[in-house]
Amino acid sequence: MEQAGNPSCFSLAKTHFALQSNPMETNWAAEHLQTIRTLMERSAVYRRTLAPIMIYAGCLGTFSAAAGLALHIDKFKAFFALWFVTAAVVIVGALLIARRQALKDNEPFWSPPTRRIVQAISPPLTAGMFLGLVLVRVGIRDATIITFVWLLFYGCALNSAGFFMPRGMKLFGWIYIGLSVCCLMVLAIEHETISISANWLMGFFFGVLHLVYGGYLFLTEKGKNAA
Amino acid sequence: MNPDPFLQLDRVIHEKGRLAIMSMLAASPELSFTELRDTLNMTDGNLTTHIRTLQEAGYVSVAKSYQNNRPLTTCSLTTAGRKAFTGYVDLLEQILQQTRKLK
Repeated sequence: MEQAGNPSCFSLAKTHFALQSNPMETNWAAEHLQTIRTLMERSAVYRRTLAPIMIYAGCLGTFSAAAGLALHIDKFKAFFALWFVTAAVVIVGALLIARRQALKDNEPFWSPPTRRIVQAISPPLTAGMFLGLVLVRVGIRDATIITFVWLLFYGCALNSAGFFMPRGMKLFGWIYIGLSVCCLMVLAIEHETISISANWLMGFFFGVLHLVYGGYLFLTEKGKNAA
Repeated sequence: MNPDPFLQLDRVIHEKGRLAIMSMLAASPELSFTELRDTLNMTDGNLTTHIRTLQEAGYVSVAKSYQNNRPLTTCSLTTAGRKAFTGYVDLLEQILQQTRKLK
């Protein structure tokens, strides 16, 4: 190891280094530490482009909602089945898109940032799914309430993932959380008078919002490292 | 001011490019050559030279493998590398504290 403290070599350079560093100004070490911090954060960030994944999720969400409305999938079990299948297809498709990008760039798919994202989103998604099932089990047969519970936990998952992703993912998560909480409060107060198709809600929240965010990312992403 | 922390700074790590590589690797168990190159905006030659220096110092280990019939080079910090990096950051913090006291 080549160290400045070794007296056998670099004596002049070391003295210079120390002498320059002395009055060197307070900011020198702070700037170095800031650079290290920034690079460490960048290293931990998920850098695959998100636009194709968001647009894919949005298209599928909108399609499922349209199918649900057209085929009158309003019965509780059928509604659940439709959206569980949609969620599963979205997750598998998103992983395949991310894998294809990784292969194209000659990088490992199951990279540490990918693992972090999966670890971050898994608890809220699992909790949301189980809470939905528990609510059904205890007798809540209102698909609208279950929809907002799912969307609330989905927002939490996006917010968690946002800690390892740049470009507004946390804000996107908070939009879901905020809208879900507001709608649940309105439902709690005006439950008797409000009647909205849960497929419409899923189509708007899961389909349209993803399409809007995906479109925004698509128009603003610069190269593969932008996301 | 006590010049000791300055004198102890590890010169292998102190170089800008190598410090960037070490910082990236410190936050990730491993990174591919292309990830490092693209994130740090380095040329292949420049990155190879720095990684070789770090490898010779025993700070970085390089693994070569194949993924879908394409070569994949991944880099990670060794135990010695992690220790050296932690030591370097500690020294920077000492220097920062000293300069703050002088203010």
